[in-house]
Amino acid sequence: MLDRLEQVINKVTLNPKDFLDIRYSYSMGESFTFRNDRFDSVSNQTIGGIAIRALIDNAWGFTSIVETDKESILNAAKKVIRIAKIGSKYTDQERKISDKWVFEGKGSTKVKIDPRDIDKETKFEKVMRIEKAARKYSDRIVEASSMYQESHNNEIIVNNLGTKVENETHVIRLMKNIVGREGTKMQNVFDSIGGSGGWELIEKWIPEDEGMKAAVQAEKLLSARKPPSGKMNVIMDPSLTGVYIHEALGHSVEADNIIAKTSILEGKINEKIGNSQLNVYDDPTIPSLRGTYEYDSEGTKTKKRTIIENGILKGYFHTLETATALDMEPKGSGRAMNFNVTPQARMGNTYIDSGDMKLEEIVEIAKDGVYLKDSYSGYVVAAKGQFYFNCQYGYFIEKGEITDMMGNVGMSGLTLEVLKNTFAIGDKWEPEFRGSCGKMGQWIPISGGGPNLGVSDVVVGGNM
Amino acid sequence: MSSEIKHHELAKHIINYGMSLGANQIEAYVVFGSVRSVQIERGSIRRFTDKSNSGLGIRVIKDKSIGMASTTIFTSDSVEKTVKDAYSLAKVSPPDENFRSLPNDTRQTKTISDKFDGNIAEMPVEDFTEILLEATQEASIRDDAAIRGNFNVGYGERVIINSLGTERASNQTSISGFLDVKLQDGDDVGNSYYYDAATTLKNFDHIKIGKIAGERAKMMLGSKKITTSTLPILLDPESTYGTIAPILANGINAFSVFNKTAFFVDKIGDKIASDKLSVIDDPFYPGGTDSASFDDEGVIPQKLSLVKEGILQTYITDSYTAPLVNLENTGHASRGSFAARPSPAPYTLQISSGKTSKDAMLEDMKEGILLISSSLNPIGRNPQISAQINQGFLVKDGEIIHPIKNAVIGSTVFDVCEKINDVSIETENRSGHIAPWIELLPLQVSGGK
Repeated sequence: MLDRLEQVINKVTLNPKDFLDIRYSYSMGESFTFRNDRFDSVSNQTIGGIAIRALIDNAWGFTSIVETDKESILNAAKKVIRIAKIGSKYTDQERKISDKWVFEGKGSTKVKIDPRDIDKETKFEKVMRIEKAARKYSDRIVEASSMYQESHNNEIIVNNLGTKVENETHVIRLMKNIVGREGTKMQNVFDSIGGSGGWELIEKWIPEDEGMKAAVQAEKLLSARKPPSGKMNVIMDPSLTGVYIHEALGHSVEADNIIAKTSILEGKINEKIGNSQLNVYDDPTIPSLRGTYEYDSEGTKTKKRTIIENGILKGYFHTLETATALDMEPKGSGRAMNFNVTPQARMGNTYIDSGDMKLEEIVEIAKDGVYLKDSYSGYVVAAKGQFYFNCQYGYFIEKGEITDMMGNVGMSGLTLEVLKNTFAIGDKWEPEFRGSCGKMGQWIPISGGGPNLGVSDVVVGGNM
Repeated sequence: MSSEIKHHELAKHIINYGMSLGANQIEAYVVFGSVRSVQIERGSIRRFTDKSNSGLGIRVIKDKSIGMASTTIFTSDSVEKTVKDAYSLAKVSPPDENFRSLPNDTRQTKTISDKFDGNIAEMPVEDFTEILLEATQEASIRDDAAIRGNFNVGYGERVIINSLGTERASNQTSISGFLDVKLQDGDDVGNSYYYDAATTLKNFDHIKIGKIAGERAKMMLGSKKITTSTLPILLDPESTYGTIAPILANGINAFSVFNKTAFFVDKIGDKIASDKLSVIDDPFYPGGTDSASFDDEGVIPQKLSLVKEGILQTYITDSYTAPLVNLENTGHASRGSFAARPSPAPYTLQISSGKTSKDAMLEDMKEGILLISSSLNPIGRNPQISAQINQGFLVKDGEIIHPIKNAVIGSTVFDVCEKINDVSIETENRSGHIAPWIELLPLQVSGGK
């Protein structure tokens, strides 16, 4: 396939400043959902095709096709050049791709046990045992479900500057979602395991223990206290620290937002935006995590990215276009969900670095507030730097001690304020946030985490 | 041969091939479409896209076990492999004793007007670009406005065939636009957006998209924090729809009802909301972007009264869930994508108007919050609501005082439904999605001040 894509590139007529890339993307997945003692869905999915982009005279053209023969790809390439040329008549912004960033190579997720070699019955058994343990725990568990997903993606990227890259990613995930209910009170407990790799990443989950653990938690939450409302000290566990930094900072340093002038952090490189102890990085090269990959969807080799160092903003997430525009190094953040969409500046594995404080010390400093655990979801309006995220449960902190349990609650903050309000950084670093990140309709696997983190003046609001 | 016939034949082939493998029942769901879009960034064209958007999903039943497979690749080899995959999964899956049968609906479908517009299907990209540039011009409320967004035109076909005799095909055009505008005065940022969609060009007002996005961004300048308190909330029609629709989507979904995770389990005939709330679901609304003459299993839907003066009237069902909740199939099967298994979802909700003018509702507000283009959404499938205010204003003595930042509204689904205190005479109709202004009695608001 790589040869075929190269042959097409060599056949199209381009001017020296033009850019054209062709990406073959083929993805196979398998997923099962077992809910309340029956399979909701047992399915596999194949998504494959060719994506072609051209940047001609400051405007992009993009198309995708499912045919993979040379003639179809060539015709699509010509079409892309034609529509990019039409677009160029309507643009007055300069856009280009530097020829400094050319990559050749092959990358692949390390897989010890290929899940495609595991028989279906073994996979079924895993999800069924988790679900059964949770469902049988109590009559108040109204819904127990467990889900299994594996996906195998192959990308081949060729461009007219000389990039020739083949990259494979393999992602596996086992999830459980348990709902406890008493009248109109409902509580949901969700958890997952897995990452980039094979069956070895989920083997260690003991199904009965995991099902039971979630059921116990869901039932406890039915009698938890109502969460407080107002501005207060918040201590986040590593999972919540992960979603917090993803929303509070990560999206605002995606450089497509920066060049579109829709991020509060535009022009703030080398400015102090956080507490001096705050260090934030994103590293897609850490083995086995959900946001791990060797080459991005533009063929750029991934590297660790330093985002904040000692409170100072040091870097953005780049595509080839944004790296060229801002004269910075692209480190492989151009990710596309599949062949039918274009790469965007995205995160991989985003973390706050650990400090040296024990949880008990952080609680003592906080005195009063909340200790919140287990992320659920979040979003940010990057233009305003206003973000929101929520947790599955938490505890009150009263007089320097962790006291009663409370239910789920949401939090709001302003990026330029809250990063400076970090008052304590824990000593244990864990990549506990394993999620999927959505941006303009594209969902990609990511992870996040860090230590326990104390932040003051966070707006907390919820009800039960 | 038209592409609709071609995809019908493809679906027929899938059925025949699946039955020949040994399936008891089989269903093919084929979508075929194309999308052209223009992206704008910093007020200038950034990218033209012209792509297909197609895929097929196959559901095979073998001895009450269900297997599903999907693909975007329509070659014979790929299609037959996908059928085999679905069949293999059905063969190894444990049986689902709740499964009765795929539907067999051979009734004549109704024709819904204004679902297809040849002007959209054949619109030259230059004309489309001019529309976007005119909208952008409207949004350029100041020279320094940072404007970004997308305009899309699309054409789509949907073919559903099953081995019991259901055979359906439909086509639809769409046009949509989204503009986001950011204004900045030092550290003060005013940011807002507007989105609209239609199935025909005559029903698409691109100027309105630009005008509202620009005006709203200007209104959002000067945002301030507020103190924590309990305040009444006034929802504009977008916010009313954005709040009520997700609550009902979960609350009356027969699948969730059966699993006892729906908000309104065992509540048909009971009061679930203030008597000011009445909601109809109309699948046949002319020109509705979500209107359809058959659901995602090929069943003709029913126009339903869902909530009447606060009383829950029914649940929405599909072929799988209807027997589980002892109701007839209301034809509400919906798939998020060609790869997904269907589940009940509403089409086009119409929330009834009230008796007070929206101006009077605002004027009578002593102290409260006005939300525009927002939603008080539950957290996941929990009834708890914890929603950040992104497009909201503090109101005092009937006057809008300032936009709000860094605040969260906390409530529950049940609380919001009960606290509908007043409903406006005026409604907004967005492609059949009809909603009024609604005032909610005081809710907990956490502020950053």
